[in-house]
Amino acid sequence: MRIRNLAAKTVLTPTVLVMLVCFYGCAIWTAYLSVTRSAMLPNYQFAGFGQYIRLFATARWNVAWTNMFLFGVLDIVGTLGLGVLLAVLIDRQVRFEGAFRTIFLYPLSISFIVTGLTWQWVLSPTIGIQNFVRELGWSDFVFDWIVRPDRAIYTLVFAGVWHQSGLIMAIVLAGLRGIDREIWRATRVEAIPSWRAYLSIVLPMLRPLLVTCVVLIAIAVVRSYDLVVAMTGGGPGYASDLPGKFVVDFAFERANIGQASAAAAVMLGSVLTVLAPYLYLELSRRDR
Amino acid sequence: MGPPVRIGRFGLYAFLVGMALFFAVPLLVVISTSLKSLDEIRHFSIFVPPSSRDFAAWWKAWYAACTGLNCGGVHVGFWNSVRILIPSVTLSVLAGALNGYALSHWRVPGADLILLALLLGAFIPYQVILYPLVKITSTIGIYSSLPGIIAVHILFGLPVMTLLFRNFYAGLPDELFKAARVDGAGFWRIFVSVMLPLSVNILIVATILQTTGIWNDYLLGLIFAGRENQPMTVQLNAIATTSTGEIEYNVNMAAALLTALPPLLVYFASGRFFVRGITAGAIKG
Amino acid sequence: MSGVVVRGLAKSYGPVRALRGIDLVVEPGDFAVLLGPSGCGKSTLLSAIAGLDDIDAGSIEIGGAEVTQREPSERGIAMVFQSYALYPTMTVRRNLSFGLRVRSVPKPEIERRVAWVSELLQIGGMLDRKPSQLSGGQRQRVAIGRALVQHAKVFLLDEPLSNLDAKLRTEMRVELKRLHQSLGATIIYVTHDQIEAMTLATRIAVMRAGMIEQYATPDVLYEQPATLFVAGFVGSPGMNFLSGSIARGPVPVARIETDTIPLDGYPLCSSSDDGREIIFGIRPEHVSLADHGTRGALIEADTLFIEPMGADTLGWFQYGSQRISARLPPQRARGLSGKVRLSLDIGQVSLFDPITEQRL
Repeated sequence: MRIRNLAAKTVLTPTVLVMLVCFYGCAIWTAYLSVTRSAMLPNYQFAGFGQYIRLFATARWNVAWTNMFLFGVLDIVGTLGLGVLLAVLIDRQVRFEGAFRTIFLYPLSISFIVTGLTWQWVLSPTIGIQNFVRELGWSDFVFDWIVRPDRAIYTLVFAGVWHQSGLIMAIVLAGLRGIDREIWRATRVEAIPSWRAYLSIVLPMLRPLLVTCVVLIAIAVVRSYDLVVAMTGGGPGYASDLPGKFVVDFAFERANIGQASAAAAVMLGSVLTVLAPYLYLELSRRDR
Repeated sequence: MGPPVRIGRFGLYAFLVGMALFFAVPLLVVISTSLKSLDEIRHFSIFVPPSSRDFAAWWKAWYAACTGLNCGGVHVGFWNSVRILIPSVTLSVLAGALNGYALSHWRVPGADLILLALLLGAFIPYQVILYPLVKITSTIGIYSSLPGIIAVHILFGLPVMTLLFRNFYAGLPDELFKAARVDGAGFWRIFVSVMLPLSVNILIVATILQTTGIWNDYLLGLIFAGRENQPMTVQLNAIATTSTGEIEYNVNMAAALLTALPPLLVYFASGRFFVRGITAGAIKG
Repeated sequence: MSGVVVRGLAKSYGPVRALRGIDLVVEPGDFAVLLGPSGCGKSTLLSAIAGLDDIDAGSIEIGGAEVTQREPSERGIAMVFQSYALYPTMTVRRNLSFGLRVRSVPKPEIERRVAWVSELLQIGGMLDRKPSQLSGGQRQRVAIGRALVQHAKVFLLDEPLSNLDAKLRTEMRVELKRLHQSLGATIIYVTHDQIEAMTLATRIAVMRAGMIEQYATPDVLYEQPATLFVAGFVGSPGMNFLSGSIARGPVPVARIETDTIPLDGYPLCSSSDDGREIIFGIRPEHVSLADHGTRGALIEADTLFIEPMGADTLGWFQYGSQRISARLPPQRARGLSGKVRLSLDIGQVSLFDPITEQRL
């Protein structure tokens, strides 16, 4: 029976076209712009890697680029670590599981803007933690990372971990619940303590899931914009800048399309670098 | 079994409660500060509960907070966000459902390729295609307008929505589809009469996912919505970062709460649908 | 070698009483099988003995020691699970040795035990593979191996053969029997397959609805079933059950349909009243075609249909308002039709009370 799928094709055509043009076409366009001599306006004269050389000679970009790794590594480790820990603890059949899960997950429902502002206030030396501890009596207590150029980027980690650990917890918990219960019973018969069972048996079984989580967090780090804008505004100065903000600032405020495109292309490259091995593994695993 | 296990359990609960505090305290601080007077904020730490509950800051945030240009309060942004939200969510969910359905049972040539392309598209950062998109939308004439932002939201929602629905429909038994075809039903008939009635749960999940994502969006709204349609998040940030004179923390925090309230309410009301939504959105179906 | 003694074990899941007062004595070296249909509580009983599930009442002793309060790892047991529960990310070698390493057993000892088990179960060639690379039967052997390296006092097996195909199941049954004989281990084994039970066990506990209906050797179970349920569950093809009544007199007789069947030699309790209703049970192999001069109770029946089963043929006959089956040699069964005379071997009969279902 030949399936007449004309209607299906018709429905899909606009989607496919839009995807091609807007996602892939535009990405290629940006990549192309990054190798032209564009400045405030697009200039389609070929310029080789000139934009990239200029980009990496720019102090602000180097700060943003380094920040991405500093923030990224800590954010991944923190979010994954806390998320897995919370999932494991809740998997131990605690009471009030519903209440705990509700509390750990709610930050995901609010905007990164709200998260960023909230943590800006909490970490602010004038009204936040430093102020609080000083009022308690320790008048020399200092915790002003958020206004220090050398420490500001790390404050983003607090907000990032706070916002996203719940997601990792939910994903890992679902994975833990899918583990065959007889494996747990076997560990009880063999006198294997729970922590050892998680470390040596259960979490390794969830390796694909954990890799997925790492990829998710990493890509979120590359895309970060809202969080930086709200929390530190990229400051002080541009000390806590990130590539995601750099691109938007240079494209719109500074009106330098060439640099913005080059930066965006580097962002894309970063995403692909994280994604390519992951997708390759995922797809080959599914084929098997 | 006995003391060692009990200490272990106690430690477990202690840690979980500690973590719960870590997650809850920032929000509680924002709520409590929004209920204080500026005087109180100046003299006491934000971690101290308010002496009395004063909603003046909330009123001001809603009606009179200043974004530097005008002082209309966030209620302007609220209604803008609503006007952006409703069409965007409806259309992107619908588009995702239709596309997902078309890709699931109809054996379209190249379906796997399309799905892969969608998967990749879901990972592309906005910044990579931002400028070209601005160019395209202004050429079509919808840049900096309500239709513009709606179109952009639909665009960015396509990959995740399509993947979500596609995986759902692919999980339904093939026999349902075949039986309907044997009965003579065509593409649209099967969609409306067979698939949609079974999709209630996934529709709720998709709606929650899109509502949360679109309401909380900042960057796209900032660039594509136009000055008259700035969403609440954009207004909020503008209010909180204007530093003319003394910072009215209570007003800023009230504004933040008002912005966070709609998706928070959706979250508390929807429970496992929300969880399913974000996990499915993360793992792309 | 250790025995297991269970006294008064009870367990409920909410309103459902999964185990109702179980008493069981497994002698050292016994191969005890818990047999019954699904839901009878056999797996629950095994889990309770293992300590994996809590119990509401009763006590458990393993090797003479009271273990009711102890964790599974402290009871001296090893278990083979229905789904094998092998650790998927570890090689076979690590699967076998992991439990020992956690218990800080010295390395040379671990290696010795792994080598011994590999030899015994023929899994030496798979030691560096992962479970996903093994077939069902191979995984099963690894699971058994993992139980054996523990040097436990008692081995608990939960339907270990149910995930294998029929041919493999038969092979593994032989393996298990061989293992039991060479190791002399105490084994408690759960299954719903009565053929497995009959071939492997030294004693079988037939369970139904949370209780043990009969605990005896396979022979006794087969020849002298204690209840109607046991009689019907054990033995394939199943026992014939005919309704009738008892009449006392110089010789007790059973009245079935229009016939009077003498019951000489049957050990009836004196409490059997005259005219009492009974269920008359006789296995098909004890019903045969009457030749001239055959002794034993004779009845007349109409041929219904013949079921060829290979070595034997099962003939079904209409006897008054009831049906009876008989095991017939194929040659005589061919072409059989119409009225026949069947002879019943009274020495192999079982009588039951229709209400209590107990043996009379």
